[in-house]
Amino acid sequence: MKKLFLAIFSFLILSQSFVLADEKPKQNDKIVVETITKDKLAKIIKERKGKPLFLNLWATWCVPCREEFPAINKLAEELKDVEFVGISVDFPEEVDSKIIPFLKLQNAKFISYVNGFEGDEELINTLDKDWNGALPATFIYDKNGKKVSFLEGKKSYDEFKKEIEKAKKK
Amino acid sequence: MKKLNKLFVFAVLFAASLLYASDVSKVENFKLKDYNGKEHQLSDFKDSKAIVIIFVATQCPVSNDYNSRMAELYNDYKDKGITFVGINSNKQESVDEIKQHAKDNNLQFPILKDDKNVIADKFAASVTPEVYVLNSNFEVLYHGRIDDSRKESDVKTKDLRKALDEILGGKTVSNTKTKAFGCTIKRVS
Repeated sequence: MKKLFLAIFSFLILSQSFVLADEKPKQNDKIVVETITKDKLAKIIKERKGKPLFLNLWATWCVPCREEFPAINKLAEELKDVEFVGISVDFPEEVDSKIIPFLKLQNAKFISYVNGFEGDEELINTLDKDWNGALPATFIYDKNGKKVSFLEGKKSYDEFKKEIEKAKKK
Repeated sequence: MKKLNKLFVFAVLFAASLLYASDVSKVENFKLKDYNGKEHQLSDFKDSKAIVIIFVATQCPVSNDYNSRMAELYNDYKDKGITFVGINSNKQESVDEIKQHAKDNNLQFPILKDDKNVIADKFAASVTPEVYVLNSNFEVLYHGRIDDSRKESDVKTKDLRKALDEILGGKTVSNTKTKAFGCTIKRVS
């Protein structure tokens, strides 16, 4: 009886520690933030492999970007049939000092690149000529790489999800 | 048939006007108070060769990266008949904060507080820093960025300076619209 009790007790302790370990953010996971150029972005948009693309433009200095990030993270975790990509417009030399710490803090579930375009205007006009550069901005493409939504400003989980559903139906 | 043609032309023109509606080409006179409580109106600056309106912020890192460039621009053009006016439309940035920020960063041009972002809405301004250059009829001659890089050492085109030099030289502004990333103006909801 004593042995059984000890076994159950040990099992409970062990299982609890496993749960705790699992709940911890994966701080040791190596986050790589590559630079994105015009050609690389065009390739990502084109090579859909049957999945719609959710492209979010953000910066660590942009408060509404930081506020909407958890909603995108949640969607990225839930919707495996959609590709989620972020582009940070922080400076490339801020990858280690600002971008990676932010992604670690958020326990980011999707890949982010850093802006490596020739200038801000080139990136803005490549994505949408009507966009004035206000952040955050989100572009959703269907499985054929055709842009179906351009969302300017901070959006909610539900607003994003509604637009993703539209892209899925295309 | 002629009637139908006219209708078609009208429809095309109407659609075109809608397309360009987001770009403000002319603004109306407005009144706002600066951080000392002094009231200014756009018509006070009617005799200027150009009026430079800059939407600014105290807490935005992008706008703050431009503080010294804004101070320099003001110093370089103030005696050439160009007026500089800053507008702060961010709901969370107080008059006291704007005053202290202007002092700390040597911004000597008036900075007006746009409560409830009424004027930002009229200009359809969305980020900081964002510039509008107006003539004496308040028509927009240039709209966009100060230059093409937040990082001063990477600047390749000084768009605002170029526009002002063209205006002072009696020329038409060659590049009337530019874009750049900035902090979204925090509007009242």
